[in-house]
Amino acid sequence: MLARMEISVESLKRTAALGGFAWTDAELEAIRPAVQRLLESLEQMERLPLGSVEPTTQYRVL
Amino acid sequence: MAELGRMVATKQVSPVEVVRALLDRIAALDPTLRAFITVCADAALESARAAEAELMAGRVAGPLHGVPWAPKDLYSTKGVPTTGGSKILADSIPNDDSTVVARLARAGTILLGKLNMHEFAYGPEGINAHYGDTRNPWSADAHRIAGGSSSGSGAAVAAGLVPGSLGSDTGGSIRIPASLCGITGLKPTYGRVSRAGVLPLAWSMDHVGPMTRSARDCALMLSAIAGYDPADPTTSVLPVPDYGAALTGDVKGLRVGLLRAHFTDAAASEVRAAVEAAAKRLEQAGAVLDEVNLRLVTHVATASAAIVASEALAYHAAWLRARPQDYQPDVRERLRLGAFVNGAQYVRAQQIRALVVREVDEALARRDVLLAPATPLAAPVLGERETTLGDGRSDVRAALLRCTRPFNFSGHPACAAPCGFTAGGLPIGLQVVGRPFDEATVLRVVDAYQRITDWHTRRPAAA
Repeated sequence: MLARMEISVESLKRTAALGGFAWTDAELEAIRPAVQRLLESLEQMERLPLGSVEPTTQYRVL
Repeated sequence: MAELGRMVATKQVSPVEVVRALLDRIAALDPTLRAFITVCADAALESARAAEAELMAGRVAGPLHGVPWAPKDLYSTKGVPTTGGSKILADSIPNDDSTVVARLARAGTILLGKLNMHEFAYGPEGINAHYGDTRNPWSADAHRIAGGSSSGSGAAVAAGLVPGSLGSDTGGSIRIPASLCGITGLKPTYGRVSRAGVLPLAWSMDHVGPMTRSARDCALMLSAIAGYDPADPTTSVLPVPDYGAALTGDVKGLRVGLLRAHFTDAAASEVRAAVEAAAKRLEQAGAVLDEVNLRLVTHVATASAAIVASEALAYHAAWLRARPQDYQPDVRERLRLGAFVNGAQYVRAQQIRALVVREVDEALARRDVLLAPATPLAAPVLGERETTLGDGRSDVRAALLRCTRPFNFSGHPACAAPCGFTAGGLPIGLQVVGRPFDEATVLRVVDAYQRITDWHTRRPAAA
């Protein structure tokens, strides 16, 4: 998998806007390193062979 | 709580005297500890008088009759503010009790107040910008954290301000403060205890459970709160066993697996030594000990972060749009991260969860319980960002969550209990993990350990 490019404040702003959040450049810059780390770690999940695994919702109603 | 309940029932102490004594302790110690958000002094004294009148009339509700307690401030309490540790809900006064608060009231308990917490339960440090940072009662040298998010519960029980509490646990929020404060805290199986009327952090990871001084007291509280609740669709209809009767003190023949990689082997050296010594004590008591590794837990931190961030944002989105300035900074940042997790990533995380559930189930198919540290480190100083574990430097927040979060992810019951102290006098926590709905065996093991050790009886000098 290719290494993720550095995420820009502009791309964060567009993604946040899709969720209905209008955060300022300063607010997005403050969380940009944490988002970068989160997305890089989420990419690690792609390496797992999960194709046919049924996702759980953890409900164990017995 | 068991001992206090017995003394009340046999009229050796009056519930009114007990409540007055605890209110005096709160007045003396809580300005430093910051464990309480609300103290219900008048209502508690009124409840104590009523409990005493019932007792004198020969009516005893059960073993918790006349015993005071206090929940984390995210349990709805009729007529009493329920803030979630937030400014946003500072003026929120529920019209009804949460299911478990109502069950404990029916058991004859006395609500003493509401306890401090990390804002909206979203942090393992237990810090709070609105109501003050709870101080660990064992921290004589510096302001050390009590652990979170149920920080007030950990500090209040450890300092003897209240004999028992209910915390909530999404990534370790019962077991982390239990570990850092030297008390016993049980996260039951997902579905064992109703969360109706409890503010959520992440619905699919949230658990509620008791925080007390011993496994016996946890058993007593769990017996009062466990069981099906139509108001919580995740609760199980499985009958609630007699948890007190399960505490036989006998672990002969029980198969105990010591979790090595990621857990014990990754802990700070004093924690590792204490947990290994606890395992050895159980082996000497007749348990059959072996070692086990869970291969997939390395993925839990990322996958559970994706799930919690998504679910928490779903709950908080409206407030986050309208009142972002009213969140404390670290919680606001964590909530905002949820906007950058997409649906496919959330489902991937749930797929990993299915694999982790299966792996823990398989480890427990050949064993009765698993052992691990509850936290791989003792209480850090407030504001400390990095620590050293057995496998190198680690972010403190990640370290605090490391050993507990896998069992929120998998839903298995897990109990934290003290198993030693560092050279600096800070508690070290052991974690016992069991099969789904087998809290009885988990509590049996912790109780047996507490019969042959005295760690859980030690008290901080400040208390």
